[in-house]
Amino acid sequence: MSETLFEKVWKSHVIVEKESGPSLIYIDRHLVHEVTSPQAFDGLRMNNRQVRRPDLTIATMDHNVPTSDRSLPILDQTSAVQIQTLEKNCKDFGITLFDINSPNQGIVHVIGPQLGITLPGSTIVCGDSHTSTHGAFGALALGIGTSDVEHVLASQSMWLEKPKPFEIKVEGKIKNPHAVTAKDIVLSIIKNIGTGGGTGTVIEYTGQGISDLSMEQRMTICNMSIEAGARAGMIAPDEKTFDYLRDRKYTPKNYESLVEQWRDTLKTDSDAKFEKEFVLDINDIAPQVSWGTNPGMTCDVTDNIPTPDEYSNGDENQKKGAQKALDYMDLKSGTAIEDIKINRVFIGSCTNARLEDLIEASKVVNGQKVSSDVSAMVVPGSQMVKKQAEELGLDKIFINANFEWREAGCSMCLGMNPDILSPGDRCASTSNRNFEGRQGTGGRTHLVSPVMAAAAAINGHFVDVRKLDLK
Amino acid sequence: MKGNIVKYARDNIDTDVIIPGQYLKVHDYAELATHAMEGLDPDFHSKIKEGDFILSGKNFGCGSSREHAPIALSHSGVKAVLALSFARIFYRNSVDGAFLLPIEIEQDAYDGISEGDEIEIDISNNEIKNNTKNQTYKMKPFSDIIGKIIAAGGLFKYKPDSD
Repeated sequence: MSETLFEKVWKSHVIVEKESGPSLIYIDRHLVHEVTSPQAFDGLRMNNRQVRRPDLTIATMDHNVPTSDRSLPILDQTSAVQIQTLEKNCKDFGITLFDINSPNQGIVHVIGPQLGITLPGSTIVCGDSHTSTHGAFGALALGIGTSDVEHVLASQSMWLEKPKPFEIKVEGKIKNPHAVTAKDIVLSIIKNIGTGGGTGTVIEYTGQGISDLSMEQRMTICNMSIEAGARAGMIAPDEKTFDYLRDRKYTPKNYESLVEQWRDTLKTDSDAKFEKEFVLDINDIAPQVSWGTNPGMTCDVTDNIPTPDEYSNGDENQKKGAQKALDYMDLKSGTAIEDIKINRVFIGSCTNARLEDLIEASKVVNGQKVSSDVSAMVVPGSQMVKKQAEELGLDKIFINANFEWREAGCSMCLGMNPDILSPGDRCASTSNRNFEGRQGTGGRTHLVSPVMAAAAAINGHFVDVRKLDLK
Repeated sequence: MKGNIVKYARDNIDTDVIIPGQYLKVHDYAELATHAMEGLDPDFHSKIKEGDFILSGKNFGCGSSREHAPIALSHSGVKAVLALSFARIFYRNSVDGAFLLPIEIEQDAYDGISEGDEIEIDISNNEIKNNTKNQTYKMKPFSDIIGKIIAAGGLFKYKPDSD
């Protein structure tokens, strides 16, 4: 029987399947961080349960760690307690932890692939919605809540209703991939299908527009699947995938024989059926900038901000939502995106803080200065990314341009650590969510690619990076 | 179940506004509850009463997987959220921990029910009664398994059938 990639991975992990209702699925890897795990470990203790497979469970601290000097104590006491709690839980239950001083510390979705923990065809869960990132390697990777974290810790399995397969075919070729990036592709997709467009599905991204992308760019695409409401996003593995994972810290010893199997099996059969399909042609897409308070409220950098009527297509709630978003963002319909001034820039997050992101952004910044009314920061996605970037001299390029160069963590993506916007700040951000208050109470977020954020930092407003001579 | 409605007539209420990121360090649920909906409605804590219901539009609970969102609402007294649709992780978290009932409604209930209306939810008949307006609406039934988990009082109390 013909099957999609998702159905194959699903089938190979089913422990119990019922005629109706959810199936019990085996979980190959469980990634743990400090924010969504404490109550789960408490639950284990209360019920005298152990972690079933500590060897398949890996922890790091990323959400609330400070990104400033790590030799100093953590000033925020509640953050310090949460970090110490994870240390104690990992010690008590025998789980490997990359702590704040580890060279392997970083955002959980950045270090998983970098360490070779993420593998094609595997099932991966984490108490974080952006777990979808790992789908770029052909894994079925699901974000879960704390009750499910406890369930997986205790049983290495979870109950799940089988989602429907959804194909998003990305056709065509971008003219200048240094100016129009994976971020612009995924924001274009969400703009078109909406923030609920993927609800109840696992998206498989296919087409030349996807196979042309590097692994790091594919991670950006899968990362934002959740912003379209999907349970997960996946991309069939190819030689780029296999090359990326070769010789990593946790790459399995029998890797080459695994690759042989994956090459044959981990793809959607040619006559397999998807429940839903969407096609995006990327030949002529422009850099994207979000103007509202969800990732679907996005337009081309060359556009003007739409009126609520133009945005809503007659849907009353959409129209009200657009008006509320414009009020919150303090923007007027008809304003050209390039006329929007910003005063903060954040280059970071599990969406866009990998080495390639920093390399591309540094090309815009090199030899320039951040606009005098802007404060800008780069927060590498992991300590490994930071080190690699420093070996290439990228830190000097950013620092010479007056960017702050920080330690790894989630940072200003979600405003849990001291890196937050002040009320009224307007930020060009490479992160994934422009929700009200996400980056700090009263803060206004515009989602963009790393090169767009870098260009906004230099100019003090958005600019169409296709006009720059980026190579 | 009987309670009064607090209505947010919009789509895409995300978990960042339900419980902003800075409070994810708070472990005391009573304190967490004082910050529920703070990102959207700073008056929520003073107006919500034990047993109230929230009514909202499509894709309620989208975004972050933080279970703190249904926990904060539940400990504020919210017994159910009625919405045109839910983001899946929020829905699952609500049921798993038996924090609150996520009830999918149709457009007639969304349009018909106003802020402050007294509502009765009848799960066995999949009906929502509006005592204030003397109207009745259908709710979408829970799937078999969700119904069983809810009846058991959460995922950890639920014992899968032996068959």
